[in-house]
Amino acid sequence: MATTVAAPPRYAVPHTRYERGLWSWLATVDHKKIGQLYLYTAITFFLIGGLEALIIREQLKGPNGSLVSAETYNQLFTMHGTTMIFLVIMPLGAAFFNYLIPLQIGARDVAFPRLNAFSYWVFLLGALFMNAGWLFGAAPDGGWFAYTPLTTHQFSPGLNIDFWVIGLQILGLSSLAAGFNFITTIINLRAPGMHFMRMPIFTWMSFVTQFLLVLAFPIITVAVTFLMLDRFFGTNFYTITAGADPLLWQHLFWLFGHPEVYILILPAFGLVSEVLPVFSRKPLFGYPVMVYSGILIGFLGFGVWAHHMFAVGMGPIADSVFGVTTMLIAIPTGVKIFNWLATMHGGSLRFTTAMLFAIGLIALFTIGGISGIMHSSPPADLQQTDTYFIVAHFHYVLFGGSMMGIFAGTYFFFPKITGRLLDERLGKIHFWLTFIGMNLTFFPMHFMGLNGMPRRIYQYQANQGWDIENLVATWGARILAVAVLVFIWNFIKSRRSGAIAGPDPWGAATAEWSLPSPPPEYNYAVIPTITSRYPLWDVTSPELTADVPHTPQGEKRTDISVGGKGTHASIRTPSDTRMAGEMAHPSAKELGITMPTPTLKPLVASVGLTIMFIGLILKHSVNYSSLWLPVLIGGAAFFVISLYSWLLSPLEPEHH
Amino acid sequence: MTSHYRTRRLAIAALTAVIFAGLAACSTTVPNTTLEPRTDFGRAIDQLWDNLLFWGTIVFVLVETLLIYVILRFRRREGQPAPRHVHGNTTLEIAWTLAPAVILAIIAVPTVKTIFDTQRPAPANALTVEVIGHQWWWEFRYPEYGVVTANELYLPVGRTANFALQTQDVLHSFWVPQLGGKRDLITNRTNHIWFTPESTAVWNGVCVEYCGTSHANMRFKTFVVTAEQFEAWVNHQKSGPAMAASAPAATGAQTDTSATRPAAQTQTPPAAAEPAQASAPSVPPAQTSGQLPTYPADRLPLYAASYNPVPEELTIGNVVGDAARGAQIYRTAPCIACHVIQGVSAGIVGPNLTHLGSRTSLGAGLFPNDARHLALWIKNSPAMKPGSKMPAFGKSAAMPAGYDDQQLADLAAYLLSLK
Amino acid sequence: MSTAAITHEHGHHYTTTGLDHRKIAIWAFIGSECLFFGSLISTYLIYKGRSVVGPFPHEAWTNPATGQAFPPILDIPVTSASTFVLLMSSLFMVLAHGAVVRGDRKYSKLWLAMTALAGTTFLGFQAFEFTSFVHEGLTPQTNLFGSSFFILTGFHGAHVTAGVIWLVTLLFIDFKRGLRPADAINVDLCALYWHFVDVVWIAIFTLIYLIQ
Ligand code: HEA
Ligand code: HEA
Ligand code: CUA
Ligand SMILES: [Cu+2]
Repeated sequence: MATTVAAPPRYAVPHTRYERGLWSWLATVDHKKIGQLYLYTAITFFLIGGLEALIIREQLKGPNGSLVSAETYNQLFTMHGTTMIFLVIMPLGAAFFNYLIPLQIGARDVAFPRLNAFSYWVFLLGALFMNAGWLFGAAPDGGWFAYTPLTTHQFSPGLNIDFWVIGLQILGLSSLAAGFNFITTIINLRAPGMHFMRMPIFTWMSFVTQFLLVLAFPIITVAVTFLMLDRFFGTNFYTITAGADPLLWQHLFWLFGHPEVYILILPAFGLVSEVLPVFSRKPLFGYPVMVYSGILIGFLGFGVWAHHMFAVGMGPIADSVFGVTTMLIAIPTGVKIFNWLATMHGGSLRFTTAMLFAIGLIALFTIGGISGIMHSSPPADLQQTDTYFIVAHFHYVLFGGSMMGIFAGTYFFFPKITGRLLDERLGKIHFWLTFIGMNLTFFPMHFMGLNGMPRRIYQYQANQGWDIENLVATWGARILAVAVLVFIWNFIKSRRSGAIAGPDPWGAATAEWSLPSPPPEYNYAVIPTITSRYPLWDVTSPELTADVPHTPQGEKRTDISVGGKGTHASIRTPSDTRMAGEMAHPSAKELGITMPTPTLKPLVASVGLTIMFIGLILKHSVNYSSLWLPVLIGGAAFFVISLYSWLLSPLEPEHH
Repeated sequence: MTSHYRTRRLAIAALTAVIFAGLAACSTTVPNTTLEPRTDFGRAIDQLWDNLLFWGTIVFVLVETLLIYVILRFRRREGQPAPRHVHGNTTLEIAWTLAPAVILAIIAVPTVKTIFDTQRPAPANALTVEVIGHQWWWEFRYPEYGVVTANELYLPVGRTANFALQTQDVLHSFWVPQLGGKRDLITNRTNHIWFTPESTAVWNGVCVEYCGTSHANMRFKTFVVTAEQFEAWVNHQKSGPAMAASAPAATGAQTDTSATRPAAQTQTPPAAAEPAQASAPSVPPAQTSGQLPTYPADRLPLYAASYNPVPEELTIGNVVGDAARGAQIYRTAPCIACHVIQGVSAGIVGPNLTHLGSRTSLGAGLFPNDARHLALWIKNSPAMKPGSKMPAFGKSAAMPAGYDDQQLADLAAYLLSLK
Repeated sequence: MSTAAITHEHGHHYTTTGLDHRKIAIWAFIGSECLFFGSLISTYLIYKGRSVVGPFPHEAWTNPATGQAFPPILDIPVTSASTFVLLMSSLFMVLAHGAVVRGDRKYSKLWLAMTALAGTTFLGFQAFEFTSFVHEGLTPQTNLFGSSFFILTGFHGAHVTAGVIWLVTLLFIDFKRGLRPADAINVDLCALYWHFVDVVWIAIFTLIYLIQ
């Protein structure tokens, strides 16, 4: 990623057929395109996961609901949970990592652009694999944490769990690849002057998240590999007749599972920490503490996993230890909440939709956090665990936290991504419907739980004292459905005909807002030199950053100018109907910037990988079981060959 | 701007509305509440809960008030001076690091104390009950008395019950909300939980660890009775099957209690369901139900009665069964491969049927234990309970050799006569 | 993701730390691998002595049903030998790296070949070990010990195999166009990986073989 404008080099023009249309998406190695792919895919799965939730709610609307059978219901909640966590929140996080991190740290792409594309394609194929079960009427039905021995072949002989096990295996590879990529990117591609303590807080939280990813996913990979080997090759890791211990799975799963929940929330925290200062017109309160608390949360997150196992009888010492370590996490998280409040305090608040969702996160995540603390007291949790009280907790943190934060981020960054603003009026409707629907859906679940309603039941009898709450919750879900549809409508409409955003529609502080919207493929014509935490405010409204530390010399100059290098793309008024993208930026070639060559190889490799796993599942198929080994070996060979041709071909057009 | 104002108030109103709706729901009949503990264990947990709820509410109110204050106070107004740019304040930040720490300490200390108190070994004189989980029903064994029963748990009030939890297959979890916390049944392990019931009553119990298709249908009933009643019950259970010459029951709809139950349920919450009346069984069952020392099904409070609907497609003609004939059929029936009837059959896969006639419900708390439901159950158990491991034995296209309605009625009559 | 580790990058690009991207990526990868093998090893240790039937790693066992006798499975002397070979391979790797840095074509080829050879020898030992265990009646399906042992050592073997393939690829390049000092980074990455795989084996050898 050249720093200086070199003399125009002589090289073959990249295959033009990759420059627009479908091919440009299949062959892209541009982090911005890949980010969008993640975004659209995840939103699609949000609709599917949400649809599953709606069916769940309709089934539980009243006593003895009979919309779906027990078998279907079990598949529904399993796939709802799995989808929302692995195919919605995580890829939405990945969407923002991809799009924003290089922009925020002043880079032209991620460290390994092709590996990045590979991550996406593997994710997509894994997601499809996971859902393929529906087509065979055998969607996973073991619950999203698939406790053994229920999920072993002895008790779940169907293909259901096979789809889950292999699907998760594939998704894990994608997350790991992305993790290494972003760790490298953030360490190694920060623009000159972008010290760690100047990184935008979203990049910081993402940085922590990447470490959680690369440290937590190997563990689930092992756990899932064991289950796969048990189911397909008769090993005994979870075979109870061989003396296996069911708690092995539980420990391995939650050792991954708890860090996972912070993987789901930290990016949202990061997004909110970007939105609040901008619409309060104040620098983030206590930036260093925000960074340290994020690190601390990630760190503590590895020491609390057994709080999901208080009912298994671990003994008083383990219970006490895990109870207390769990409580500790309230401290760094609380610091974040209070620092956000302090950021707003004394500011001049603009209630854009993005701001409303950010505030929504503060209001709602706190509720989920508090119920979390209520679980963290082991004896108390013995009355709560596996009831709807837990369901209430994790929807407040996941929907009220992660989803709210991601919505805030979407409204905030949509203009940067598309060059157009999301409609604010629809946005406000979306927010209020979500806020009200969300509380109607999930608040009553606290009472259901305390009144003894177990989770994961497809039917309950009347006169158990659960009817009213369930009805309210179902109505809440219906309102949420409307809210989601409003959002989708807003998204599609604004993408086509929204108001032109211009480079910096919000008066934001960080480097990415100095670029045209959407940014040119090379992002920065000249890699900027960063001299403070808020480089753009230094230019647009220096008074805001007056007492924020700058470069040691106290020098405040920064070579960032709104609209990218030079004046050729200065702020455009909404009356200007041309998309920023259509504005004539000089192309990378004209500027003599070498960008990675588009290539299909990552996609091809990921297909090979998937064929390999399809071979494995064929082993359990009725008609094609004989084919499994050839397909598996074929897929593996295909994968290795495409990998070689990818790795041995240069990333960029050769110069010499 | 003012529009913000209105909408914001609306939202807050909505939220509080929800909370009150919930609280209201709380005050109406909540037969499975965790907040009215009836054991020492339950009360210990409840004290922790009150503590957690108190501090949780404080934090909640604090954060939300601050938030609303900031929102209202610092809205952007026209021509308002540019905000002051404090970007940090160490003392403040230390303050709101320490405050939570203090609160957590206040929560942690009693928590740890309760953990150690409630996980001591049970007192020596405790009544040991072995709980064995099966997909999807409960087996209860009283080694002290050599009693084995299923899906209906009897406990003497005032005596500590120490449960030894095991499972035959996958994980399950044993829970009676009013009697205290739950404990998982872990394969290849024996778990323990103990508590002392403090008042006689009948409570619902459930399996709360997802265990497959009919996880939702793995329920049981707990009868906490006086010491004398418990003695009587034990003696009765120890005795062999007493084939009481009960009036033959028809499988017709007229004896179908489930038809009447939903009707009752549509009325205003019946008194029976009020926790106060929930302790009905303190009236010695012996007097209320004729000869039997077991809890009379017809006096079950509504919340504890079992009256799930039977799928329409599953029917049986109105025939009167004959217990004697039923007994004949049973001897050679496939039933004996799985079920125990003391002195008659010795299967171990399914629930013990020795005193089936004296139980209140069928299929782990799903259906009333009457002739019609029992006959239907034998006819096609999987249709009545998804995934049920008991095959269908009724005559059908798939199974021409199966029992016809008359034979089913006879079997039902026989089994029901086993008081 | 050794893919990450050998993706072609151009040395001349600006990086914040001045290090090659792949250098950082492979360290992250190794960190991740630590938890991978950590989980595998913990599983083995958790299941140690929990198998309901033999054969066992360190004790003899006679099948009560058939009366058939099984010797202790693990053969320390043989494995010590293979361990030694693997350790030597790390030494060769260092020499190979040095040679490439010096631009010494002859020795770079030699030591790369030696490293790959030592790795292959280790794999040979493992193949022998596995087959003899199977003959003695221990398969991954036999008991908890069999499952956790074969999968743990099997995954390590797979890592060694990947390493050998990597080495052979480098050797191939060396023969084709010669590894210049500019390519040292490629060998460096391979070396890091190789040493890591070695260290993991030391852990496995001590925890699984030596400690009874
Ligand atoms: C985004 C995901 C997310 C997040 C961030 C959290 C955050 C927390 N979670 Fe939660 N959790 C889940 C997702 C998440 N959780 C999921 C999905 C499950 C269920 C899995 C399943 O079974 O399906 C679960 C389950 C779960 C359990 C197991 C319950 C059971 O199954 O029995 C426990 C137990 O301790 C727990 C605790 C906590 C705690 C203490 C926090 C803390 O991090 C919260 C800290 C935050 C606050 C406390 C609020 C802000 C703080 C202040 C305002 C300061 C002052 C506050 C105090 C002094 C209290 N969670
Ligand atoms: C981020 C994670 C996340 C999110 C956002 C949600 C969102 C929702 N969830 Fe949940 N949920 C989980 C994670 C999540 N969930 C997890 C992990 C579990 C545990 C699973 C397990 O036990 O294994 C769970 C379990 C769970 C249960 C308990 C099931 C049981 O235990 O039996 C319930 C019950 O009400 C529920 C409801 C909802 C509802 C109503 C929403 C709503 O917020 C949904 C809102 C979205 C919509 C309403 C979509 C509307 C879309 C349309 C109308 C368009 C449809 C058209 C097309 C598809 C073309 N969820
Ligand atoms: Cu048994 Cu759930
Ligand atoms: Cu957790």
